[in-house]
Amino acid sequence: MSAATQRGASSLVRRLVLLAAGWSLAVLVVSSVVLVLLFQQAALRRLDQSLTELIDNLLAASTIDERGGVVGPALTDERAVRAYSGRYWQISESVADGATRAVVRSRSLWDSEMRIPREVLGALKEKPGTPVAYDAKGPLGEPVRTLASQATLPGRKAPVIFVAAEDRTPVDRDVRGFMAATATAFVLLGAGLVAAVVLQVRVGLRPLFDLKREIAEVRRGRAERLVQRYPSELTPLADELNALMAHNQEVVERQRTHVGNLAHALKTPLTVMLTEAAQRPGPLGEVVTRQAEVMRQQVDHHLRRARAAARTQGQGERTSVAEVLDELARTLERIHRDKGVTIDWDADEALIFRGERQDFMEMAGNPMENACKWCVSKVRVRADTAAEDRIRLTIEDDGAGLPPDRRQEVLQRGARLDETAPGSGLGLSIVDELARAYGGSLNLGDSSLGGLAVSLELPRADY
Amino acid sequence: MRILLVEDDPDLARQLKLALSDAGYAIDHAPDGEEAQFLGETEPYDAVVLDLGLPKVDGVSVLERWRREKITTPVLILTARGGWSDKVAGFDAGADDYLAKPFHTEELLARLRALLRRSAGHAAPNLACGGLRLDPRAARASVNGEPLRLTSLEYRLLHYLIMHQGRVISRTELVEHLYDQDFDRDSNTIEVFVGRVRKKIGADRIETARGLGYRLVCPPGEEAGAPAES
Repeated sequence: MSAATQRGASSLVRRLVLLAAGWSLAVLVVSSVVLVLLFQQAALRRLDQSLTELIDNLLAASTIDERGGVVGPALTDERAVRAYSGRYWQISESVADGATRAVVRSRSLWDSEMRIPREVLGALKEKPGTPVAYDAKGPLGEPVRTLASQATLPGRKAPVIFVAAEDRTPVDRDVRGFMAATATAFVLLGAGLVAAVVLQVRVGLRPLFDLKREIAEVRRGRAERLVQRYPSELTPLADELNALMAHNQEVVERQRTHVGNLAHALKTPLTVMLTEAAQRPGPLGEVVTRQAEVMRQQVDHHLRRARAAARTQGQGERTSVAEVLDELARTLERIHRDKGVTIDWDADEALIFRGERQDFMEMAGNPMENACKWCVSKVRVRADTAAEDRIRLTIEDDGAGLPPDRRQEVLQRGARLDETAPGSGLGLSIVDELARAYGGSLNLGDSSLGGLAVSLELPRADY
Repeated sequence: MRILLVEDDPDLARQLKLALSDAGYAIDHAPDGEEAQFLGETEPYDAVVLDLGLPKVDGVSVLERWRREKITTPVLILTARGGWSDKVAGFDAGADDYLAKPFHTEELLARLRALLRRSAGHAAPNLACGGLRLDPRAARASVNGEPLRLTSLEYRLLHYLIMHQGRVISRTELVEHLYDQDFDRDSNTIEVFVGRVRKKIGADRIETARGLGYRLVCPPGEEAGAPAES
């Protein structure tokens, strides 16, 4: 059920999760990029620092001979001595049309020479004394961080350019390592955050799901009202729902009472008319008798209609099968005690009919009364669970039974098999109608006792 | 034969009075519940025709009070409400027969005749055990004056137990006396009936003798306190 809630554009869960998760994921991505950049800058600054020191040392140790030539310093940094060690230096001088020529080189450069790009030369000329850092390729093609600085040495007019470079592969490796670690940590953190958000939303919205489930229970007839306690935000909603259900029931109940009162109020005058008419033989008496009978049928019909309308509104009605069978059995035995009818009924105490008590009484009572009328002495009533949500109610008698070709007849509205018997016929058409209204069914068959077996399938409520 | 007619509708009352007089009965008429209550308690009627929808006190309450006061006059109730729940309520209150409006006068007369014939059957002595009382004539039982609502099989079970009170009665014996020979019931269902009867008269009144059967217990203290009159 929550899966259905999560799908669709207007899911609350989805909205909340997307909002919270989207924001935290964006923050995570931005901060990881910033962290990596900061780390890289710091590493490069340290590299530049050591290159600046190297240039300072070169500058301090370089001298000019009498002919104006540059004499390289005797720097003993072993890494600049070993060939292609990754740490290089070079002292260059400008020659014609913007080119440079190496005057002195570290031994590590071996016989290669570091070229100074034109734009670096331009920048150096513009701001003499300010070192310029840039990325270049080393003698082995490796990426090197390079620092160039222009200076004028005493005893020489033309400025010289000091260039120092160091392999930046270790720095790049460190940055990559840091990036991988950061990414791993942040992906884990992000996943954790999203999970936490989802959990929070689900837990936070649980009362909503509970509410939904409880409403479904009411609709299914397992409960009459919402009884769970909800958080203060949902309490008004639950209260309103309960009030609405109560109001619905009240309106229906009131309408039913009105119709019932009217119908019952009409019955005494009808009796008076029938009695009066019976005392005056002749055409007038006959017409009144006939019309009074029609009126009685109309009243009963509309009474049933009002009940049926009320039924569609009925929520959470439950009726104990055993209780009703007990009441009906002892009442019917009393009604038919001159005949000595024994009603043998059996039903599980826990069997619950999902529907209104009066309706169940009607559906069980009418066939039971028929059975009492037509039996020799015994009526058997059994109620059990037919399917998960079905009750099977079987009413049998030991009478003469009903031939199969006449069974359809008795289900017809108003049909009466024994026109001479008092009362309104078998009433089975009413039972059939009621059972259908409950999504159930009525079947007629033969009983092992010898008579008719009326079998009803009706909705069952849980527990 | 003297009949009390309780009906508030003046026209119907007039008609019924006429019809009943014509049939040879002596009729007293009460137009409301209060008067019916009083007349039923003071005059010895052979039967009562009681409308349920009455002013002042409704018919069911009148009937219930009569039965509590041990007035056993047979009562035929008339009502506009013909639903099963109304019938059950009427019979549980102690009615002997029931007629739903509208009805034909002949039917009322036929029912009344049957009622009077039945009550004329000679009275059998009441059976008692503790506060428990059985009236075999009306097939009714009560506990400490409160009427019990029993089906006929439950009544038969209790009747047999009370006839043999104090003795342990086996399930087989009970089966034999509860059902006619062609009732296909096994002795296990006796348990179900004993359970239902226990629920209605109090669980400790029927003892289970394991492996042997059941015994009805009659506490002597309650017997002394129970009204001796029936």
